Amino acid sequence: MRRQQQVAASRAVAKARGGDQKKIIAVVIGVALLAAAVIGGVLWTNASKNATAGQTIPVATTSQATAAGVVESRQGVVVVAGKPGAKATIDIYADFLCPICGEFQKQYGTQIEQQINAGTLQVRYHMVPLLNTRSAPEGYSMDSANAALAAADAGKFTAFHDSLFANQPQEGKRGYSKAQLIKLGQDLGITNPAFAQTINAGTYDQQINAAFDQTLKDPNLQQNVGQGASFGTPTVAVGGKAIQLTQGWLDQVIAKSQG
Amino acid sequence: MLDALGTLARLGLAAVWLISGVVKISDTGQTYIAVKAYDALPSSLVGPVATAMPLLELVLGVFLLVGLGTRLVAVASGLLLLVLIAAIAQSWARGLSIDCGCFGGGGQVSAGQTQYPQEIARDTGFLLLAVWLLVRPQTPFSLDGWLGWGRGNSVALPDDYSGESYSEGN
Repeated sequence: MRRQQQVAASRAVAKARGGDQKKIIAVVIGVALLAAAVIGGVLWTNASKNATAGQTIPVATTSQATAAGVVESRQGVVVVAGKPGAKATIDIYADFLCPICGEFQKQYGTQIEQQINAGTLQVRYHMVPLLNTRSAPEGYSMDSANAALAAADAGKFTAFHDSLFANQPQEGKRGYSKAQLIKLGQDLGITNPAFAQTINAGTYDQQINAAFDQTLKDPNLQQNVGQGASFGTPTVAVGGKAIQLTQGWLDQVIAKSQG
Repeated sequence: MLDALGTLARLGLAAVWLISGVVKISDTGQTYIAVKAYDALPSSLVGPVATAMPLLELVLGVFLLVGLGTRLVAVASGLLLLVLIAAIAQSWARGLSIDCGCFGGGGQVSAGQTQYPQEIARDTGFLLLAVWLLVRPQTPFSLDGWLGWGRGNSVALPDDYSGESYSEGN
């Protein structure tokens, strides 16, 4: 009887061990699935960060065709677009990486270009490398600003500008490479080899930075956001002074200039 | 009572990690900016850390939720929280103006909008949960309990030991 009890006890222990083993196997499978999910997460994150790699930047179709008589010219690092004799002038400060600038373009871009085409408005576009460290790798703000000036030299600024905003890369992720910017220009019909050279060499980078330093210091361009006045993008200025982008601001600017 | 508090601590900390992990992984660009803003890592490490952080948080959250390896996970949680608190503290000490990005967001903010004391206090609160679980990792409804871990002997004799022995006797 005593021996039988011992045998039964050891069986029970073995059974309990067997049950534990099944449980442990179940847990190991669970942990393995979790590990697989983590690897998947790493792959997904990297893919999302590099979503712009290997893409061809599509040519924006939403933009207005630039009307006959509209002159686009590069003046230093400012691009001036408008018909000669346009009475109203605004300065737009934007960064191709800045999400709110993308929103601004979506909301007002068409209206602005309509006014340019109508001959009522001249726009001075300032490309601002405010978020130059906020792409991964860094530098998309500057590269795109420089490329936009190169596109202005080739007479394709508006289409280039609109295409970059229409297909804006996300902040904190990969922007577009110089090669992709060059390809966009070529797709827009730029054939002059100086375009690619300007982009690759970063010809206007220093001038853009110098202008940006001046912009940051200009008290007239600062606005109260939260606490204290500071410069942000997008900023629209009339007569060198930043304005609030309240409902109907563009119509008011035009109306005032006609007055 | 202690069991209830322990379960609350475990599920509470699980919720913290799961929520912050989900928010971070659903905006990977913002997470990258948030990590970068601490200005504490060489630029080659910002990307890997920004990728790993939400995943690590999610894994810790899942382990806590199911209650597996609670003591070990509590240690890992505590260490991660200490690192995060140190990162926030160094930003504060160096006069950076950043949002911790603890639950999404993050990056530079204007000088008056920093919330360093609140952020550190909050993380210290989470740290207390981790310390509780480190000291007393046994909680009801946990895989640890189901596996018989954390009760001393992992291979306990079944409760019906004597009954079984009689039924098998012949």
